[in-house]
Amino acid sequence: MNLPRRLRIALLLAPALTVVALFFGAGVVQAAAQSLGYQPYLDGWRWSTDAYVALWNDPAVRASFALTARVSMLSTVLAAVLGVALALLLRRLGRGRRWAAGLLQTDLAVPHLVGALCMLLLLGQSGLLSRLAQGVGMTAAPADFPGLTADGFGVAVIAEYVWKETPFIAVVALGALGRATAELEGAAAVLGARPWQRMRHVTLPLLAPAVLAGSVLVLAFTAGSYEVPLLLGRPYPATLPVVAYQLYRDTDLGSRPEAMAVAVVISALSLAVVAGYVALVARLARRSV
Amino acid sequence: MRRHLLAALSLAAVLTASACGAGGTEPSAAPSPSVDASDWGSVLAQAKGQTVSWHMYGGDDTLNAFVNGYVADRLKTYGVTLNQVKITDTADAINAVLGEKQAGKTTGGSVDAIWVNGENFATGVQAGLWSCGWPSKLPNATYVDLGAPAVANDFGVPVKDCESVWQQADSALVYDSTKLQDADVASVSSLLAWAARHPGHFTYPAPPDFTGSMVVRTILYDTVGGPQSLAGAFDQNAYAPAATRLWSRLNAAEKTLWRRGSTYPQSQDQVEKLYSTGEISAYFTYGPGAVGDQVAKKVFPATTREAVLAGGNIANTSFIGVPANAAHHAAALVLANVLLEPATQLELYRAEGTYPGIDLARVPPDVRAQFAAVPVSPSVLPLERLTANAQPELASGYVTRLEKDWTANVLQK
Repeated sequence: MNLPRRLRIALLLAPALTVVALFFGAGVVQAAAQSLGYQPYLDGWRWSTDAYVALWNDPAVRASFALTARVSMLSTVLAAVLGVALALLLRRLGRGRRWAAGLLQTDLAVPHLVGALCMLLLLGQSGLLSRLAQGVGMTAAPADFPGLTADGFGVAVIAEYVWKETPFIAVVALGALGRATAELEGAAAVLGARPWQRMRHVTLPLLAPAVLAGSVLVLAFTAGSYEVPLLLGRPYPATLPVVAYQLYRDTDLGSRPEAMAVAVVISALSLAVVAGYVALVARLARRSV
Repeated sequence: MRRHLLAALSLAAVLTASACGAGGTEPSAAPSPSVDASDWGSVLAQAKGQTVSWHMYGGDDTLNAFVNGYVADRLKTYGVTLNQVKITDTADAINAVLGEKQAGKTTGGSVDAIWVNGENFATGVQAGLWSCGWPSKLPNATYVDLGAPAVANDFGVPVKDCESVWQQADSALVYDSTKLQDADVASVSSLLAWAARHPGHFTYPAPPDFTGSMVVRTILYDTVGGPQSLAGAFDQNAYAPAATRLWSRLNAAEKTLWRRGSTYPQSQDQVEKLYSTGEISAYFTYGPGAVGDQVAKKVFPATTREAVLAGGNIANTSFIGVPANAAHHAAALVLANVLLEPATQLELYRAEGTYPGIDLARVPPDVRAQFAAVPVSPSVLPLERLTANAQPELASGYVTRLEKDWTANVLQK
């Protein structure tokens, strides 16, 4: 077969793109239409932007922005820093390295739902830590233990995300720390660079693109994920996806457009993060040339 | 490039056309089912070999065992296979049917039957989702007092033969008798006074949770002296002063609740877990019959007891609804009919103390005697105590409004 190159690429991409366009695209179109009042099952529905106005005035949504930003950004930064540190540490392990990397990958296979339940059993007021504290006489009753789950700050939610995403970043960073990195570090050492200079000017710049890509994935995921903040968070303030679902489950169908408006906002934010990432990568690529 | 643009545009046009096509059809009343319930022989014939997908709350292990055991076996004798679809919130099933209706799927729907009542039934009415006209024609409808207010109305919405009775739910306060005395559980005021003396040991799930919403209404009834002043459809003039008093009372009590009222559990499940770990000592439930089972399994302390507070306890009826687009309409009717059998209702009462939706005055005397003979756990209140001062639910207009305003005036304060 001698198809023109562009046509061949288009054909090869077609199956994947069709699935994305059909399920994601159609879903987004539906959500956008419903957020603008499209409710054919109701008498007297009409197109309007009321839902977006309502969303702006809804205290649950307003409080949600701050919480969602805090949870997703803190989780991402902590996971990125710890993940890179873990990768650099693992690299020094030598023989045990493969073993430790395997251990990391078992964590990747654990669903977030299970992780959230584990956090509940660990950090809850009747959880393991609380019982240990009671056992050694630090607290007298479960209620004396600090409320780490269902707390206003999102401690347990962030803890779950960091626990789950740190190994992810570490695996990504380990992949980037190949033989080429070691050779460049060696060359820098021969040229008289101190350990900190090697780290600052050789290792970290080489790691940056991969870790950045991983972090963008973590940021988009933690801002848009539902089950962990539902299990470990509060009904108010709740993260954006939880608020969207609260509105979606409202028995009054009049709330449906607002639920869809929140969903559209989440999608737009995710796309903005990805767009920002693409722009950043383009800049990094230009700089490294 | 132009060709790509053209392709994209035509795709968009097709999508818009199909979307508008669905929008163009006027929402109409649910089409009458192709199944005629008055010809029961033909219903049975059609149901044979069908699998009925029954969407129901799946968080109750004892109930799940009963449904997949006794009910499934009974259905098998009619050649009907039961597929229990466990959901956490009835709204999920309503949303599934709504999605199908939106997609123009008027037949062959995936949801055959839903365990439903209250606001979710009202939502289905609002969107014209239900199949109607069959419940009164079921052979076992003779055991139901169709004229009783609790059966003819569902949270103030007229049932209009669009759902068939299954269970009766009488709410009660569950408490640990080593922590609370009889005097503490005499009334809402004495309960809240106990909570003030023992901060952190009482709470309720955040409405719109089904049970949490009931707790708020229980305190509302106590605040305004019963549901009478709020009877009938939603009335702003009756609601506003009552709500103002309710919110100030709830906010005053908030500091004495679990986590000092800074937050509320997200579900009744979570509340019962808090009780089982001893973090709280009292909670309200719609399922007092199931408490005996929890005590027997040693999940709850043996000193667990139940109480009906002064002013009575909120009670309601729950139903089986069949979506108009159900693929296995006949099998759904057979299911609804099996659930009305006195023997089924008796088994359910035995299994988890669920109160019958049928009228015991209409069943054969020997079945009535068997009901009376079912042993009741010392932790559980007998049926007479639970039904003696049962209070009706408010119209769903009040219920949704209370849930929304609770969020604004209590949770977000």
